[in-house]
Amino acid sequence: MIPFDFDYYRPDSISEAVQIYETLAKQSKKVLFYSGGTEFITFSRINQLYADAVIDLKGIPECNTLEMQGEQIVIGAAVSLNKITESNLFPLLGQTIKKIADHTSRNKITIGGNLHSRLIYRESVLPLLVAEAEVRLAGSEGETTVQLEEIFNQQLSTSPGQFLVQIIVPKTYTDSPFASFKKTKMSKVGYPIVSIAAILKNKQIRAALSGVCEYPFRSVEIEAALNDSSLSIEEKIEKAVTLLPSQIIDDIQASSDYREFVLKNTLHETMEALGAAHG
Amino acid sequence: MLDNPWMSVGKPEPRIDAVEKAAGTVRYTADYTAPGLLHAKLATSTKAHAKIKSIDVTEAWKIPGVRAIVTGKMFPFHIGPILADRPPLAFEKVRYFGEPLAIVVADHEYQAKQAAGLIKVEYEPLPVVNSVREAFQSNAPLIHENSGQYIKIISNVYPVQGTNIGSHIKIRKGDIITAWENCDYKVKETYSFNLSDHVALEPRCTLVEINPAGKVVVHSTTQSPFTIKKVLNQFFNIEVGNIIVHVPLIGGAFGGKGTVQLEPLAYLASKAVGGKMVKLEYDREEDLITAPGHIGLEATIALGTNKSGKLLAAQYTYLIDSGAYTDQAAGITRAMALDCTGPYDIANVWCDSYCMYTNHPYATSFRGYAHPELTFAVERTMDQLAKRLNFDPVELRKINAIKPGNSSPTRTMLNANNIGDVVQCIDRAKELIGWDENSLRKKTTDGKVRTKGISTFWKTSTTATNAQSGAILKFEADGSVNLNCAAIELGQGTKTILAQMVAERLKMDINKVHVTMEVNTQTDPHQWRTVASSTTFLAGRAVMNAADDAISQLKRTAATALQCSMEDLEVGGGRVYLKSSPEYGVKIEDIALGYKYPNGHAVEGQVVGHGRYIQRHLTPMDKDTGFGKPGPWWSVGTQAVEVEWDPKDCTYTILKAVTVLDGGKIINPMTAVQQMRGGMYLGLSFASQEAFLFDSHGTVLNPQLRTYQIMRFGEQPADYIVDFIQTPAADGPYGARGIGEYGVIGMAGALANALSRAAEVELNHLPLIPERIWKTRKEMQK
Repeated sequence: MIPFDFDYYRPDSISEAVQIYETLAKQSKKVLFYSGGTEFITFSRINQLYADAVIDLKGIPECNTLEMQGEQIVIGAAVSLNKITESNLFPLLGQTIKKIADHTSRNKITIGGNLHSRLIYRESVLPLLVAEAEVRLAGSEGETTVQLEEIFNQQLSTSPGQFLVQIIVPKTYTDSPFASFKKTKMSKVGYPIVSIAAILKNKQIRAALSGVCEYPFRSVEIEAALNDSSLSIEEKIEKAVTLLPSQIIDDIQASSDYREFVLKNTLHETMEALGAAHG
Repeated sequence: MLDNPWMSVGKPEPRIDAVEKAAGTVRYTADYTAPGLLHAKLATSTKAHAKIKSIDVTEAWKIPGVRAIVTGKMFPFHIGPILADRPPLAFEKVRYFGEPLAIVVADHEYQAKQAAGLIKVEYEPLPVVNSVREAFQSNAPLIHENSGQYIKIISNVYPVQGTNIGSHIKIRKGDIITAWENCDYKVKETYSFNLSDHVALEPRCTLVEINPAGKVVVHSTTQSPFTIKKVLNQFFNIEVGNIIVHVPLIGGAFGGKGTVQLEPLAYLASKAVGGKMVKLEYDREEDLITAPGHIGLEATIALGTNKSGKLLAAQYTYLIDSGAYTDQAAGITRAMALDCTGPYDIANVWCDSYCMYTNHPYATSFRGYAHPELTFAVERTMDQLAKRLNFDPVELRKINAIKPGNSSPTRTMLNANNIGDVVQCIDRAKELIGWDENSLRKKTTDGKVRTKGISTFWKTSTTATNAQSGAILKFEADGSVNLNCAAIELGQGTKTILAQMVAERLKMDINKVHVTMEVNTQTDPHQWRTVASSTTFLAGRAVMNAADDAISQLKRTAATALQCSMEDLEVGGGRVYLKSSPEYGVKIEDIALGYKYPNGHAVEGQVVGHGRYIQRHLTPMDKDTGFGKPGPWWSVGTQAVEVEWDPKDCTYTILKAVTVLDGGKIINPMTAVQQMRGGMYLGLSFASQEAFLFDSHGTVLNPQLRTYQIMRFGEQPADYIVDFIQTPAADGPYGARGIGEYGVIGMAGALANALSRAAEVELNHLPLIPERIWKTRKEMQK
C-alpha cells in the first residue's frame, strides 16, 4: 500500500502532458512522469519514493508507437518490454530486455521506465547504446531529437519537465550479428552481476555492459581492446577489464572478485558468440 | 468378505478444495472486512541491538484518522511458546532489526502506515551479536541480561543466565570417550548457514476485536488456533472460554504460522480503541523479518567407525541461531538433539544442542523442525566419511541404517511399528536415481559435469505429550455427513485426507462427506496444532473414532426401524442393512435425523458422532542425558539429486530429484506425491539460494523479495520422482504415519553432496550459490 495521497493525470497528448507538468510545477509540487508504474508502486510502498502528482504517459499516442518507419524503428516510451520482444523489430533489444525481471512484470514495465529506472541496471539502454539510437524528448522548450549517448551518462539526464517520447533505432543495426548475456547470482530473475549486449558491425565488436559498475555504459576503450587484432583473446579480455570506467561493484549480489571472474567469462562467451574469438 | 466398493483410502481422490481454489473464490483472512474495521501498522526497529531512549509519537498523531498509538509501555511483559522471553512490543531495548516498537491504529491502512513512518525513536546503540559463534564467546555482549528469570512455559528449556544460551539440550548415550579411542576412521567437520524465511505466498494477517460482553474474537492466518487461546489466556488473562478463533484456508505456512506473534499485537491495538475490530496485515517485508523465520545453524560433527565402516561413536555440537528470542527455536534445539544422528544406529552418542540468542530476526518452526538442518550436516559428514573409508556412500549408509531392535539417541526402543524401513528406502532411491558407483561423476560432451548426491533421513515429531485432536460427524437429512475438525487446511490437503477416512469407514461415497474448511474454536473440538506432520495421525485417529461412534448410533436407530438387534447390522453404501440379507435395510437419510414410525412417533434423533485421540506414552527428555520418548514414531526416507555443473563458471542445473519415503500407508497417493514435490522444492530453494544477509550492525541487507532470492517457477528440477515404501504403522489410521514435512528434509544434504562431488571440494556451507562454489575451489587451490 502506498502510504500517501497523490494526484493522477492521464494526458492524451504531448502538449497536454507538458502543460500539466508546468501547472503543477508552478504549485511547487513534486511531479513524476510514469508509464508502467512498477517502480512507482514498489518504491512508494516502502517510502523510498514520493510524489504529489504523477503524469501517466500511457495515453499519449506517440508514446505507444512500435513500428518500422522507413529506415528506422520507432519505439514509444510507454511500450511494454514484452511487446517489444514479441514484435521482434530489434532482436538484440528484444533478447536483452527479455531478461529483465519476470514475465508478469515485463507486461507492465515499459522501456521508458526501464531507461529511467532508479535501480542501477537499466539494461534496455545496452542495445540502444551499441545501435547508436536517438531519443525524442518533449518538454516546455518543445520537442527535440538527440543521440542517446549525448544525454546518457550513467543515467538518462533530461531537464525538469522533459520526458522521453520515443526511441529511434537505425534499421541497419538490427541486421548485425549480436549477442546478449545476463549472469546473476543464482536465479535468472535476479539482478545482473554482468549483463552485456554486443553487436558485430564492420567486423568490429560494439558492446555495452550493466551490473559490473554502478551504472550501465558503453566504452570505446574497451571495444578497442576487444577489437585489437594484435592480441590473443585472453589478452583482449585482460586488457578490457583494466579499462572499466569505474570500480567493479561489491555487494550482496556478488563480490567484486567474482564479478570480475564472471565478466571475463562473459566477454569470452560474447566473442565466441559473435565469431570474433579467433579473429 | 466383499470388497468395499466405496473404498477411498489409498485412492488418488481429487482435493476437495480444488474447485474453489482454481476458481479463485476462496476467501483468505486478509479478504475479510467488516463495517467500522480499523487498521493497524507497526513501527519497527532500525537497529539490531540498542537501548530505547525515547519514542516520540507527536508527528504520528498529526496524521488524520489515527485512533491510537500503542508502545511497549502498555504491556511491558514477556511472552513465548516455550520460554517467555519476548515482549510483543519492544520495551527498554530492541534486539533485532525489524522488531515491533509501536502500533498505530487508524481508520485506513495508509493512514496507519503513514503515521507509523513518523514515529521517531531515539536509540543508544549496543554492541551487536552477529553470529552464533560470537554469541557463544564467554565475553559476548548479553542480549538477555536476565534470561534465568524468564518463565518456562514447557519443561525441557534451560536458559543459562549470564550467557546468550537460551537453552541447552544434552544427549549422553553410551561411553563416547572409550568408543572414540577405538575408532579406526574419524572425520570432524563444521557446517553453517544463516537464518532464512518461509516465504509463504500469503503474508500473515489477523483481525481481533473485543466485544462489549468481553469476548475476544480473533481471525487469523494460523496453524495453531488453540495456542492463540492459550497465549491470550496465559499472558493477557482472558478466560479461555471467552476467546474465539476463526481460521479460514491458509495460503501456505511451512511452520511459520505455527507460532503466535500478530494476535497479541492486534489484541493490544483493539484494546487501545475500545475493543473495535482491528486488522493487522503484514507487508511482505514485515513477513520476512519482523515475523519469525527459519533458524540459522553452525554444526560440528565428529563421526568414528571401525574398519568395516560401522559407526561406533559420534559427537554433535549444534549452535542454533534462534535470533533475538527463543520462540520455537528452543523446541527445535531439543528436536535437533533427539534425532541428532540421522537414521543411523550408533551406540555411543554425545550431543550438545544450544539455542543461541543473537541480534538477528528471531526464528520459529520451519517445515522439518530441526531435521532439514541437522540432516544437511549429518549427510555431508557421511559422504566425507565414505570418502575417507573409500566406501560407496550408499553402502556406508546401509551398513549403519537404523532398524527395529536398535535404540534412538534418547534410547527409545525401535520396533517394526514405530520406524519405517531405512534400507528399503535407500535401495529404491538408488534405483530411481540410477546410482552406479562407477558413474557418479560423468563429463558431458559440452564440458559439463553430471553428478549425483544422496541423503538419508528420519524424523519423529515432538508434539506435546498430550497433543490431541477431536472430530464431530453430523448427519444431514439427505444422509450425507458434515465433518468438523480443527485441523487447518494450509494447502497440504488435510481436509481431503480426513474426508477419505470418513468415506472409507462409513463405506460411503466421498462426495457425501462435507468437510467444514474453516476452523472455529467455539464449535470445533480441541486440536493441538496443525504442525509436526501429525495431523493425519492425530486427527485421522479422531475421525475414525467419530465414524465408529456414528456407526453405532446408525445401527441403534436402524435396529429400531428394522426391528432387529444392532449386532445383525452393517453400514455401507448409504444404508444400514442386515448382514445376512443385505437387500433388507434402511437408507441413512431415513434415520439420519431419527426414525419416524408410520404413526408419526419418532425416536433417537440426529446422528452425531464424536471422536478423539490423544498421544500415548510420550515423555519429556531427561535434562542430563536426554533419556525419554518425546515422539510417537519415525518416518524415514532417502532423497537423491542429479546435477549438471559447469566447471567454467560454477553454475549448475538440478536435473532430477528423487524422494523415497516410508510414511506407512499412503492415504492419498496423488496429494502425497504433490506434498513430496513441494517439500523438495522448498528444500532445494533453501539449500541453493535462501539466506538473510547481515551487515556488521546486524541490519538485514535483503529484507524484501527484490533481494531475498527464492527458487522461481521453472527452476525446479525437470524431473521430480517420488515413491513410497508403505510399512504400516499398527496404531496409525489405516497404517499411516506422518509425511507432511518429509519432502524437504534430505534435499540440502543431497544437493551439497552432488555439488561437492562435481566441484571436487567439500561444500559445507549454505546456500550453494555459484559464487560460494567458485570461492571454495579458489581457496582450495591456494
